[in-house]
Amino acid sequence: MSAPNGKAHWSLYLYCGFLLVPLYWLVSMAGKPNRDILGGLELVPSNPTLANFAEIVTNPAWYGAFINSLTYVCLNAALSIAVALPAAYAFSRYRFLGDKQLFFWLLTNRMAPPAVFLLPFFQLYSAVGLFDTPLAVALAHCLFTVPLAVWILEGFVSAVPKELDEMAAIDGHSFAFFFFRIFIPVIRGGIGVTLFFCFMFSWVELLIARTLTASEAKPIVVAMTRTVSASGLDWGVLAAAGVLTILPGLAVVWFVRRHLVKGFAMGRV
Amino acid sequence: MNIRALDLGGPHTFSHRFAEGAITVVLGRNNAGKTRLARAVAGLDPSPPGTVFINDADVSTVNARRRRVGLVYQAFVNYPNWSVFDNVASPLKAAGKGRKGNGAEIARTVQALADRLRIGDLLDRLPGALSGGQQQRVAIARALAQQGEVLVMDEPLVNLDYKLREELGLQLREIVRADGLTVLYLTSDPKDAFTLGDEVLLLQDRAKLQSGTPLDVYNAPVSPEAADLMSDPGVNRLDQQTIVRPEHLRLVPQADGDAVFAADVSSVETSGAETFLHCRVGDANWVARLPGMADVEAGTRVRLYVGKEDLIRFDT
Repeated sequence: MSAPNGKAHWSLYLYCGFLLVPLYWLVSMAGKPNRDILGGLELVPSNPTLANFAEIVTNPAWYGAFINSLTYVCLNAALSIAVALPAAYAFSRYRFLGDKQLFFWLLTNRMAPPAVFLLPFFQLYSAVGLFDTPLAVALAHCLFTVPLAVWILEGFVSAVPKELDEMAAIDGHSFAFFFFRIFIPVIRGGIGVTLFFCFMFSWVELLIARTLTASEAKPIVVAMTRTVSASGLDWGVLAAAGVLTILPGLAVVWFVRRHLVKGFAMGRV
Repeated sequence: MNIRALDLGGPHTFSHRFAEGAITVVLGRNNAGKTRLARAVAGLDPSPPGTVFINDADVSTVNARRRRVGLVYQAFVNYPNWSVFDNVASPLKAAGKGRKGNGAEIARTVQALADRLRIGDLLDRLPGALSGGQQQRVAIARALAQQGEVLVMDEPLVNLDYKLREELGLQLREIVRADGLTVLYLTSDPKDAFTLGDEVLLLQDRAKLQSGTPLDVYNAPVSPEAADLMSDPGVNRLDQQTIVRPEHLRLVPQADGDAVFAADVSSVETSGAETFLHCRVGDANWVARLPGMADVEAGTRVRLYVGKEDLIRFDT
């Protein structure tokens, strides 16, 4: 994409700048003491400090919440790929009774708002003793990420010619060898894109994560909504937590950025 | 290799004994059943109706993994994340799994095959970094690395551009003949039958039409369709039973008994060495293949001569 003229170029920068204002505000708040935040409008912090970040990395309530979040997000991503990859392969390669209906039904799962599932999840997980564990959140999120993952991966699987499967069989390789040593490396870009979308959903999802956890497995998004104390809101620490929450997402985008474009181009995401 | 009562999807089943250690060119148009035949020989479709014998052993129930029939596709199919070496070594490694100390042997075999296909200096590249012709050479080398008895090539040169097709086509015969394999070469180009084939097998409408050496089939076609398949451009039809080959038509009479046809020339196509006259004779579209440049213009009417002995009649 190239800018047709100078004007379009500038409007693009202007737009990006506009989008980045809240982000900048968050970062600048994280670098200020509370009284400066409440003191008045300040474009550049006058007393820059890292105390807010120090509070987060030293206070177990904060970094514990980060670890909880990362635990269930990674669990969810791993579970989603492990389940969705064979499913996507089957949808792409085999014809079976009701395959098209089943494939569409997967998508309809995403049409229901997450809140609908809160009550059954809560009751079920309490009954089997999963309540307040990272696994509970990871499993609940799978309800949304697995259909998405199947849809995205099916596009990537279908882009691999069936002849490759046949070639491996003719060469004498077992199916397992083909799947893990040939097929998965070939579609690793698609797996990266899928991981990104699972991560994005699970990392920012608040409602289910809050309902299914209490104290042990409290995720970061929930910790951030519970910083109200007797002395009021701790704005600076909250902002610092916000900044740290953005970082993993940024890292994931960085790693899959090339495949992401391809994923979008394939029209499934 | 012998095939008995194979269902190609036509009205009759297909049976044929392929000459061992020879190249059989299977000639047929699109949808004539070529690919179906190839897949049945390679064992790719589960339990196809019919029996395939290789060396008098029934392999119909042996799946593709154990059948050791090499297959080269029309599209260049290689493992994109493996180097050329690993691609060619793939069947060798699959066959030698669990056996220790055969790495050097594999490397030697791969190098020999790669040299034969003139990709010996590309072994550490990825297939994606190669030209189409080189990619197909990798695919052929891997099929040969099967070291089985049978090799099936499904229109392997179709996706190559003209020069590469000529080049690889000319080398292909010596490349595959070296191992004494029974080769099925599937194509829709009659030229391949003459340049490559020890035998030719004509397929039409998912059934066997004729088989024999290329010259026998050319000289004694069993039907107008068989003659048409072995001819490029196709044969000209005089009536239901009579055909004239494009190369037998002349602009000048040679003998007293020549048959004469009045033809309206609709277009003239020349390569310098040859000229094709596309014309209408009666209700039919004919093509005349003339040597050199012909001094004929489109839109004119010419007389085409053909010797009486070159009018090919079929009894119906």
